Amino acid sequence: MDSRNHRPAWPARGAAVWGPPILMELPSSVSARLLALIPPAVAINVAIGRIVAELHLPVYLDAVGTVLVSALAGPVAGIVTGLIGQVLTAFISGYIWLAFAPIQVIVALLAAGAAARAGFRGVPASLAWGGLVGLIGGVASAAISYVAFKGVTSGGVTAVTTILVSLGLGLAPAVTVSSLLTDVADKAITFLIVGVALRSLPVRMRGRYPLGQRAVRR
Amino acid sequence: MALAISMLAFLLPGPRGPLLLYAVTLVAMPIAGVGRAIRQGLFICLPLWFFLFLLHGVLGGGPTFGVGPFALSRDGAELALTQAGRFGAIITVSLGFYHSFDASRFLNAAAAKRWPLHLSYLFVATLHAVPAFLARTASILEAQRARGLRFGGGPVARARAVLPLTLPLILGALAEVDERTHALDMRGVASTRLRTPLMAPKDSVLDRVVRWLLWLTVGAAVVWRMVG
Repeated sequence: MDSRNHRPAWPARGAAVWGPPILMELPSSVSARLLALIPPAVAINVAIGRIVAELHLPVYLDAVGTVLVSALAGPVAGIVTGLIGQVLTAFISGYIWLAFAPIQVIVALLAAGAAARAGFRGVPASLAWGGLVGLIGGVASAAISYVAFKGVTSGGVTAVTTILVSLGLGLAPAVTVSSLLTDVADKAITFLIVGVALRSLPVRMRGRYPLGQRAVRR
Repeated sequence: MALAISMLAFLLPGPRGPLLLYAVTLVAMPIAGVGRAIRQGLFICLPLWFFLFLLHGVLGGGPTFGVGPFALSRDGAELALTQAGRFGAIITVSLGFYHSFDASRFLNAAAAKRWPLHLSYLFVATLHAVPAFLARTASILEAQRARGLRFGGGPVARARAVLPLTLPLILGALAEVDERTHALDMRGVASTRLRTPLMAPKDSVLDRVVRWLLWLTVGAAVVWRMVG
């Protein structure tokens, strides 16, 4: 087998800028492995939406690919995955969804941080990191929903917002509560799925992604 | 053009500006040969419009006015109409662009503009990967259903079905990465050297004039909103 297949995701490390080293090392070039990894990861983000719809669950799970790539190849690859996914969603269903691109960046950065701290080593760790990411992402998501969308985004969250407003809550608190409830559950399940997937990978395959090894180390 | 209209939808004062812009896109889409964008846009917009009407029109505060059996908030209805116009215009024009997008023409144009190949490749490869993964998801759903996996029941029972459905998709995708890496390496896609397009699309004078006019309109709208 060609030895090039066993290269890690980033072939060379570029300039390290300020901040924790694992989060801020920028690649000097893009490897073929990353180019092979990112498109399916974005497609997973979209395809899991079909599964969620089939199961009628009140979550999105639209960041599974982003978290997976962040955990395997680091924050920059995760951000690229998240942003391309968001651009694609905007491309096929409206540019208004581009407003949520910062959420993908936040999720990618925190997922890479979780991977660096073995945040996918077991179910409790995955759920805890997912909950934390959901909490931070939920606050950011609520701000975007309120400012750019006046509280009306997708069905499930908006339905919860509408119920809360009809119960007498103001629009801003209703949007915040509904975003937090949905995002915490959504990201906890997302991190759980990625954790199980990473632990299910054969060691030989996971070994090609040094960060992936660290993510599940006990 | 799609980007300029999206920016104008937020710059023009509501509710007239965004509603007028939506009306313009409804006329422009069939002329551009992408009339189906209107129908698909409606599918996305209708639930959003419904919630806008409910959340701001019916449940909104302030002075009210009667429409049939409803007492609607005046301010809320105005806000709902403004947002409805924005959503309609932006979603319809985005779908119009999507239906007129030609991937190979885009790759050639990106190469002619001296953009790095891997960036344009990432976008086009993703665009092609999505239908393949949707088809694979449908197969996994059918296969797991045939094996007796229950999709119904309460929320906990349904949540239990998530892992058996998502793991085959994720692990299958990761298993293919090696093969794809090899194929991409052989084609030199990761190379940073610039490519020469064989058939660079022509950027006509009319195209450039329309682009400049649109950006001038956006600039004028920005200045108008800042001054006005």
